[in-house]
Amino acid sequence: MTQSTDIDQDNISSGEDSHRGDTTDFGFTEVPREDKARLVRGVFDSVASRYDLMNDLMSGGIHRLWKRFTIELSAVRAGQRVLDIAGGTGDLAARFSDLVGPEGQVILADINAAMLRVGRDRLIDRGKVGNIEVVQCDAQHLPFADDSIDCITIAFGLRNVTDKNRALRSMYRVLKPGGRLLVLEFSKPTNTLLEQVYDTYSFKILPRIGQLVAQDADSYRYLAESIRKHPDQDTLLGMMEDAEFADCQYHNMTGGIVAVHRGVKA
Amino acid sequence: MQHDPAIIAALLAAAESGINRALALAPTAASDFDALAGTVVALEITSLEITVYTAVTATRAVRLMSHFEGHVTTQVSGSLEDLFALIVSDDPAALLINSPIEVHGNTAPLIALQQLLTSLEINWQQPLADIFGDVLGHQMALHLSAGINWGREAATSLRRQLSEYLLEEGRLTPPETELEDFFEGVQSLKLQAERLDSRIARLARRISQRGAG
Repeated sequence: MTQSTDIDQDNISSGEDSHRGDTTDFGFTEVPREDKARLVRGVFDSVASRYDLMNDLMSGGIHRLWKRFTIELSAVRAGQRVLDIAGGTGDLAARFSDLVGPEGQVILADINAAMLRVGRDRLIDRGKVGNIEVVQCDAQHLPFADDSIDCITIAFGLRNVTDKNRALRSMYRVLKPGGRLLVLEFSKPTNTLLEQVYDTYSFKILPRIGQLVAQDADSYRYLAESIRKHPDQDTLLGMMEDAEFADCQYHNMTGGIVAVHRGVKA
Repeated sequence: MQHDPAIIAALLAAAESGINRALALAPTAASDFDALAGTVVALEITSLEITVYTAVTATRAVRLMSHFEGHVTTQVSGSLEDLFALIVSDDPAALLINSPIEVHGNTAPLIALQQLLTSLEINWQQPLADIFGDVLGHQMALHLSAGINWGREAATSLRRQLSEYLLEEGRLTPPETELEDFFEGVQSLKLQAERLDSRIARLARRISQRGAG
């Protein structure tokens, strides 16, 4: 049975109370920390129904290959409990559902109600039921018991989290010892020429495509800006180590446009 | 050599999709596949420094991966050409013995999987009927199957005739039994040389120990 918590925007804590008064980045704009979750939510409310199309536009369709490799790195086995944070429309959750089998469990989590609704409906439409639970929650305050999850994945979601360090600590807390975290995220291209081409595409072409396809250039501009503001490969690796993850490593993909980081709870 | 995982993933995804599509159209292979569920064959392509893990799932499908951390049933190492020859070979057991391919683990599932995948009897009627309708699809499937069978028989016949020509008419190659005998002799000589090498090493060690004493 596919279960779902009551998907309600207003019940979600943004989790930045302790930083009230500070600012954080929202793309290239500095905004009060308490506003970021609301602003990000606005972006994803706007694009939820066309999220797959957006991913295809941003990645040229290669996001499926990046996710495929992430799943391989997860080494998830039958009977395990997997948490897919910022699970969006459920791409990873659907695959994990097959891998963990009827004895295991997959939790599709997202802070955004609109995204979760799309993801939940898509999973049901694809017949992925019985071992999937849908939970609306904030990555900074995961509502799960300590040492209760075998594997956590967060694909293209960490850059939208207000306090990434807090989110990493929260993930570490709920992982079982030996459990692993996989962070799939846009990163910094390793080749200067590729970086220039990618910048041109992201800032000049992508917003226009967003305007044409979704009549929403601003959301697509934010997505491009948020990618540039996200920590590069080595910085994120250091953040994971600071959160006490062991055996941290990353794999660049497509010339570093995307990287998948892996860490293990010791 | 550092490969981009996305490129490897693209190649594996395409191959996996093709294999699983073929398997879905070959219902007679299903029971054989059940027996292989859980098998993981690691194909280490030494010339490219890539390892492809081929896992048979419980859902009668093949999963191809570039990264795998579980138990590997059989590990096969060789160049791309050697491994390709193994994949398409009519007699994989003989090829494993007579080629530079290195094998670790159980070879039985490897040979069973290879034979299963190379002898799939694909039923073309369903996909063609989906596209062209029952009547036309059925006729097309019959012709396609006949064409494929003719192609297989023609290939077998050509191979046999070529073999006979090289052996009997041209006298260009030795008979198969003679060749096998030669390979056995080479293998035996190789083992004797290895034993001799280890004996010499042992003697040299003893001499050096006595010298030191």
